[in-house]
Amino acid sequence: MKLGDILLSALRGVTANKLRSILTLLGVLIGVASVILLLAVGNGSAQTIKASIAALGTDTVTVRASSGGGGAATATSSSTKEITYDVSTQLADSGLGHVKAVVPQVSTSLTVSSTTTSADSTSVIGTTPNYFGVSTAKVATGSAFTEADVTSSAKVAVIGQTLATTLFPTGSALGQSVSIDGTPFTIVGIMATQSSTGFTDPNSVIIAPITRVQRSFTGYGAVSTLLVQATDSDSVDAATGEITVMLDQLLGVGADDTAPYTITDQSTLLETQEASADSFTVLLGVVAAISLLVGGIGVTNVMLVSVTERTREIGIRKALGATRGAILGQFLAEAATLTLVGGILGVIVALIGSNYEIYGTQPVVLGYSVPLALGVSVAIGVFFGVYPAGRAAAMRPIQALRAI
Amino acid sequence: MSHAVVGPIGSGFTAALPVLELRDIHQVYGTGDAAVHALRGIDLTVGAGDYLAIMGPSGSGKSTLMNLLGCLDVASSGSYLLAGDDVSAFDEGQLAKVRNREIGFVFQSFNLVPRMSAVANVELPLVYGGYKRKERRRRALEALEMVGLGHRADHEPQELSGGQQQRVAIARALVTSPTLVLADEPTGNLDSESTDEILGIFDRLAAEGRTIVIITHEEHVAERTHRVLAISDGLIVSDRESLLGVRA
Ligand SMILES: Nc1ncnc2c1ncn2[C@@H]1O[C@H](COP(=O)(O)OP(=O)(O)OP(=O)(O)O)[C@@H](O)[C@H]1O
Ligand SMILES: [Mg+2]
Repeated sequence: MKLGDILLSALRGVTANKLRSILTLLGVLIGVASVILLLAVGNGSAQTIKASIAALGTDTVTVRASSGGGGAATATSSSTKEITYDVSTQLADSGLGHVKAVVPQVSTSLTVSSTTTSADSTSVIGTTPNYFGVSTAKVATGSAFTEADVTSSAKVAVIGQTLATTLFPTGSALGQSVSIDGTPFTIVGIMATQSSTGFTDPNSVIIAPITRVQRSFTGYGAVSTLLVQATDSDSVDAATGEITVMLDQLLGVGADDTAPYTITDQSTLLETQEASADSFTVLLGVVAAISLLVGGIGVTNVMLVSVTERTREIGIRKALGATRGAILGQFLAEAATLTLVGGILGVIVALIGSNYEIYGTQPVVLGYSVPLALGVSVAIGVFFGVYPAGRAAAMRPIQALRAI
Repeated sequence: MSHAVVGPIGSGFTAALPVLELRDIHQVYGTGDAAVHALRGIDLTVGAGDYLAIMGPSGSGKSTLMNLLGCLDVASSGSYLLAGDDVSAFDEGQLAKVRNREIGFVFQSFNLVPRMSAVANVELPLVYGGYKRKERRRRALEALEMVGLGHRADHEPQELSGGQQQRVAIARALVTSPTLVLADEPTGNLDSESTDEILGIFDRLAAEGRTIVIITHEEHVAERTHRVLAISDGLIVSDRESLLGVRA
């Protein structure tokens, strides 16, 4: 039996029972499309996180007070062991070779209101102007406050996009006055939208000069973090070393004392988030695999039923001189045609679907998911189309003819 | 493998060789207490050009014997020579070849492949015989013409009457010019008019010298043949020339 004849009879078999063919096609289509799409969604969210890592840059480190307080075991008074704004300024002015900028941050949570609206528990950050150069926050409209504003403890603020629209739903927030916990501030800048990587929404914060935030709200104690920018990403380790030495000196930490602060590499922090995004992809992959399996079971079912239905046909063909191989070839070609067409349609549906945002994530199709999904579904369809046919083809013709 | 047409063995120098030779054939279905001895020692020789009817009560083993002759089943014991070859020793591939080339089988229930045109059904044995498409089509149409259904070539089985379906099945059995034509109650499902048409075809084939074995329940069908075999309870109980006794 020639290949052309096999393909021709396969085509005949496919068109002979349209409902069966359509069901098989649909099963494969849905399975393949959902695997590709779900993996694309997982991949898309991982890519978003990777992009934000790139945006943050790998040239910054964060200094935080150690949890558990400023090293109570030592004899030195606690006030000298805290990283204050003063310490920060001294650190910045100490001329460290690999440190480009030191940005102190204090933060608190307060009610911010305009004349019409108010927002509870808004994150208020006090910092210096180079915060906007070092962190991912960028001013989109207006400008950042200045060093002079810091010196004069000016009541000016830069506000996040979301917060701006909340407080001033009708007009621009720029130049308007807001009240933070009763103190009036003038809005000098509105930040560009940022993608969220943590738990706080970076678009709902208000940022003011550190001196003003300390004077009005937090007091002149320790700052919550120091954001330190190295001269370039290769100098991060050197900068970390310099900061450690200088901070120990400024804070009077002895050689045997445990440092009252920790230094975190930004990239380390984000690698953790990236890992969790990857495990999200794996989770979606499992869901996808299950849907492929369900699709596969559907295909299997249709194939099994059709072979059982056609056992008599197999008997007739054998009685007319068909070899086992010829029967297998026919069923193989039929199953392969059906599942391949269904699979390719599934790929097309997935590729079209991946152009649309799904739950706020832009799917990015993983290259390997296409051959994987296609391969698995075709393998399932072909196996369950051919295996029972092979069993029927191994019977004596009279057994197959008597079946049913 | 374009195979030359196998002519009826009855022609030329092979005339002396019997087409069928069965020795002590037994067929047992099942095992132990449930075992059914469908055939209990069949000896039978059929020469080339024989036109043979097998008769017998229901359950006597006629179909069992016919399925063995058609290589659709394998005997429990005994030897079966088809045109001199010991078929019981054949493997799967050789059996497929024998079914394809040496035997044309006509079933009581027609057994056409559904949703497949008459001509495609008739082509099937030629497909498995490795014939080229054009040759297949030509021979299939010829065979349909011979059974008087040339004009129905593109109809599917469900669009044909019982008698027409059986004629398609006969065309399919004849299309490879087999050594042996076997028919298990070919008119069992047909009315008398269709029966006459079908039997007419068999008569004509017999007159052309083809070897034919027919199972039938009806005396008048048996009497059209040359030789009548009676089976009862798995044994041949009589083997006689038909009343007409016409041998070609
Ligand atoms: N596959 C089988 N399994 C078990 N027993 C069988 C099988 N096929 C046939 N038999 C038994 O073998 C015996 C002969 O059956 P067979 O079909 O050859 O009868 P038959 O002469 O063709 O009858 P009918 O005229 O009714 O067609 C019967 O008793 C039947 O029950
Ligand atoms: Mg019978």
